[in-house]
Amino acid sequence: MAMATIGNSGAAERRVEDEIFRRGRDLRGSGFRTMLFAALAISILFLVVLLIQVFVDGWPVLDERFGDFWSGTLRSRSSDDKLGISQGMIGSFWIAVFVAVIAFPLGIAAAIYLEEYAPDNIVTKTIDIAIRNLAGVPSVVYGLLGLFLFVQTRELKDSTLYAGGITLAILVLPIVVITAAEAIRAVPSSLRQGAYGVGATKWDVIRTQILPFAAPGVLTGTLLALSRAVGEAAPLILVGAITGRLAPRDGSFLSLEQFSDRFTAMPIVIVGWVQESGRDAGFSAAAGAAIVVLLAFVISMNSVAVVLRNYFEKKRG
Amino acid sequence: MNSRLRQMLKLLALFTALSLTAAACGSDADTTTDGTDDASSDITGDIFISGSSTVEPVSVRVAELFEDVAPGVSVDVEGPGTGDGFKKFCAGETDISDASRAIKDSEAEDCAAAGVEYTEIKVGIDGIAVMTNTASPVACVTFENLFNLIGPNGEGTTTWAAADSSLPDAPLDIYGPGAESGTYDSFIEIVLEDLAEEAGVEATTRTDYNPSAEDNLILSGIQSSDTSLGWVGFAFAANADVKLLEVDGGDGCVEANADTIASNEYPIARDLFIYVNNAKAAESEALTAFVDFYVSDAGLQTAVAEVGYVPLAEAARDEVRSAWNG
Repeated sequence: MAMATIGNSGAAERRVEDEIFRRGRDLRGSGFRTMLFAALAISILFLVVLLIQVFVDGWPVLDERFGDFWSGTLRSRSSDDKLGISQGMIGSFWIAVFVAVIAFPLGIAAAIYLEEYAPDNIVTKTIDIAIRNLAGVPSVVYGLLGLFLFVQTRELKDSTLYAGGITLAILVLPIVVITAAEAIRAVPSSLRQGAYGVGATKWDVIRTQILPFAAPGVLTGTLLALSRAVGEAAPLILVGAITGRLAPRDGSFLSLEQFSDRFTAMPIVIVGWVQESGRDAGFSAAAGAAIVVLLAFVISMNSVAVVLRNYFEKKRG
Repeated sequence: MNSRLRQMLKLLALFTALSLTAAACGSDADTTTDGTDDASSDITGDIFISGSSTVEPVSVRVAELFEDVAPGVSVDVEGPGTGDGFKKFCAGETDISDASRAIKDSEAEDCAAAGVEYTEIKVGIDGIAVMTNTASPVACVTFENLFNLIGPNGEGTTTWAAADSSLPDAPLDIYGPGAESGTYDSFIEIVLEDLAEEAGVEATTRTDYNPSAEDNLILSGIQSSDTSLGWVGFAFAANADVKLLEVDGGDGCVEANADTIASNEYPIARDLFIYVNNAKAAESEALTAFVDFYVSDAGLQTAVAEVGYVPLAEAARDEVRSAWNG
């Protein structure tokens, strides 16, 4: 009704409108807005500068010999036709598989237990805080853990793909638990109560209501964790990923033997080539190209996460 | 309701299967091997080399060349550092240890205690370049100059003249490798050690310089200041936009280049070694064949030069071969 009165007297409306939107009325507000925009611009600027530099560095390699680069291996000279990233990609792919197979089920199960079954007492709270802290522990520390648990205690002291894979799975486990728990916590309680109301058991409620509803959030979290694992170099350096040369192996890319064999991974390949670039400047182009490929790999994984999340969100709609 | 979960699983399975096939297709391309049918191509075996990251490219290059001769032998190489390499070597975990310095007494004792006997093989020479900015007026430095500038007595000085009165009065910014580096150890051993003993101070560098594990950062540090000073492996500095200083080790100023380093005229050079586990070489035909190949001209000359180091002189190569062949 009040709106209607103002609307009827055009002059008063205009006066109020002018007053509200007068230039300089909300100086602090616009200052704040500019500041926020600057913060956003600066963060994006860093990313853009980095991306441009990497693309410029790596473009010659990607443009001229992408096929060879994709199927090539670690070599001693940047001018070598066989220089490439196949070994790094294979290592990173299997590390991703390890993380998916080990960290996802364990992490999601732990999150369900913590959110749905664990009693609300001091023990649970302590565990919760511990997991949050673990998620913030520097990745090198996980590397030391992996070195001690999976490399040094083995009879044949050797660095294997499964030592690297399990180490990175442990590294992202807390992240998976936290994101899955948050997603489960976000399930509206009306949904549970409704299900209980029609006589569902706790198991039914979790299986048919909570998990499907939480699936998009859980999925996003897990795939982001996967991207993190694929990009980590520090733990793999400690676990002993190979920098110099990995001889071509017999057997296919899918053979299980390679789990107990030496390995390398994309971040290690990149670190190695950046170091080599002091001796042989051509390696900086190779490193740039490898970074572009790793970025594309991670971005496509994240896009899969977005697509899957949208799919499940639509389903639950 | 159950169908949702099943659909989710199906989707995941599909995604996994897709990525597996994609990856499997990718790997087909890289399993193609060179069709060499040489006589020694029937040797098979695994060789693992660890140690110095400086020597790593030499061993990798030799392994690449060896692959054409004996494709059945797989050689893996890593480069965590000379010290870490010897730890693994003396524990019997590696067949060959790359080293950018001779084995230390303490390391030799570890090897002896573990019953690991080895053969030391000199494979090449890496000069250490002392460098400054291309704009710097300095052309030649003596070991005394370097000791005054970089040694512990230079601590706190900010100009060349303040550290050593015979040098120009210009700002002094020092960049070099950190204490974990083999180049750092070699520099102290070759340049600073004797003078430090004479001066009665500890054989080390001043603490207030800019250490870096990345040779690239050292080079960009040198480029960033007009009268900078630094040292780095010759192979790294040779192609960079910096001025290599002549060095006077007591016999006059000598320019740093491949010839002066190979002939031992240039005073700051270090030998590069590989250490071969004798027991493993006796057991493994592959390892023996690989080291034979390493000490041939393909290794000591071609591979060493190809990755940017200085090959040994003719006489020294013969000496190495007779040492290996017993």
